[in-house]
Amino acid sequence: MFIGTDRLTHTYMPGTPYAKKALDNVSFEIKQGGFALVIGRSGSGKSTLIQHLNGLLKPTSGRVFFDGHDLGQKGNELLKIRRKIGLVFQMPEELFFSETIFDEIAFAPRNLGLEETEVQTRVIEALEEVGMEAEQFIDRHPFQLSAGQKRMVALAAVLSLRPEVLILDEPTAGLDHSGQKILFKLLASLNKKKNMTFIICTHHLDQVAALADQVLVLQEGRLVMDGFPQKIFGRRSQLIKMGLSPPVTAEIMADLAERGLDVRSDIFNLEDARAEINRLRRHRVK
Amino acid sequence: MVNRSEIIIEAKDLAYQYTGEEEASSPALSGVNISVHRGEYIALIGPNGSGKTTLLKLFNALLVPTNGEVRVEGISTFDEENILSIRRHCGMIFQNPDNQLVATTVEEDIAFGLENLTLPSAEIQKRVGQVSSVLGLQDLLQQAPHMLSGGEKQRVAIAGVLAMQPGCILMDEPTAMLDPAGRNDVLQTVQHLNSEQGLAVVHVTHFPEEAVMADRVVVLEDGRLVAQGSPKEILGNTSLLHGLGLQSTAAVELASLLRQDGFDLPEGIITNRELVNSICSLEQTD
Repeated sequence: MFIGTDRLTHTYMPGTPYAKKALDNVSFEIKQGGFALVIGRSGSGKSTLIQHLNGLLKPTSGRVFFDGHDLGQKGNELLKIRRKIGLVFQMPEELFFSETIFDEIAFAPRNLGLEETEVQTRVIEALEEVGMEAEQFIDRHPFQLSAGQKRMVALAAVLSLRPEVLILDEPTAGLDHSGQKILFKLLASLNKKKNMTFIICTHHLDQVAALADQVLVLQEGRLVMDGFPQKIFGRRSQLIKMGLSPPVTAEIMADLAERGLDVRSDIFNLEDARAEINRLRRHRVK
Repeated sequence: MVNRSEIIIEAKDLAYQYTGEEEASSPALSGVNISVHRGEYIALIGPNGSGKTTLLKLFNALLVPTNGEVRVEGISTFDEENILSIRRHCGMIFQNPDNQLVATTVEEDIAFGLENLTLPSAEIQKRVGQVSSVLGLQDLLQQAPHMLSGGEKQRVAIAGVLAMQPGCILMDEPTAMLDPAGRNDVLQTVQHLNSEQGLAVVHVTHFPEEAVMADRVVVLEDGRLVAQGSPKEILGNTSLLHGLGLQSTAAVELASLLRQDGFDLPEGIITNRELVNSICSLEQTD
């Protein structure tokens, strides 16, 4: 098991009248190099889950695993392990506090107690990984950047720890279409070239669905679906009943199927939808 | 009845330059002329950094222009004595409702602005009762705002603005932080207020699907107003949108791919339903 949970339960404010079970007996596994989406309504337990995967919360019961370790253990070991699991919060650039982009990205490596030359290497490496030329950017103030660039710097600040797993909460919130495209292209390339494992919580599936190889669906703290994207997004009426939206191309295909056309509805990007509608026409012409 | 020829907000030759930038950067807005009519629904789109949020802030007198003038219900935003009256006429909804909910119960939060107007308490109670019934918040009045879902919080924020009886509501990506059900909830609420109560809406969004419901779509690029028209005119113009790094609705994008493949689809398709109907009627006629 690379990263995952075993019968993980988390109760906030246990033993009080406000006690709330945020996660209830959740078990799953994500393989190394996997690309998993975690979807569910607000309040379904997504944020609680990702905080457990990074060791920020302790299970009420059950266990969280990473690479053979139990994240529930205490001590120095846990700190070392946690560095391998990067967590990028929603709107991470709102947490910027440094005067220069260099210092912003250097914050975490410096906290590791690394030599300043090593810190510098990491900063430059991280900036180049997100496609920003180090020389042009390191001395600038983070607030002088565009929204898309700020998001990239926030990502570089986590990449400077050289994580093996990257967890992102709603990574495209507030980004325009081209900003979203650039971000997902970067995540896909880190996933393929560096075998980095991704876990992404999002409500907006249209662009990211095609990258994923696993989808986890949470409902009121329980894991109610876990499987390949085709399988999960194919269960359209169940998702809608849960207050979730399948990718919009899947909606179009399902509407066509409902009108009696012989098309697959487990399709969630434009090019596949185009090919499927063309297939229908070729089929008909024959 | 709403007189749609009446102007609520009028901006003439508007320019804004943020100060404190060391380098001489280009202005956030320049040469913008735009009027918002009573009861009109405007979707404001454009890449990150194109000036959308700046324009909203200028409408609401959170910023005053570097050049040109904004008038809200005839009052210039330079008129400092009347700033509160401008904000009463023209309320703002931010991306994250957590940033604008201030009280310990929903009821007090909705009443907050009214209390600052020093209205008699009977009038305050009456208005809180009215807006909470319009927005379906009657059962939540005694709840703590932080215990609500994202969509509910955003509706409370809208209620607080609506209680001031504004002619216009300004929304800056109001659904970016919401789950799909919360997003539908807010969008339906706003549509209802627009069509039933004649409330003018200026809605900044990165989601082309949200621009479909507008009377007029306005496009900004680099601080300039570069295009405006009906949703069919603007969303149907993929070359305009792609040139700006934006994307249209999935229905428009898919229709345009299918036209390239020789499908004889009519112009003016912007919604899923229109696309599905057109494809089905092609299938039937062949």
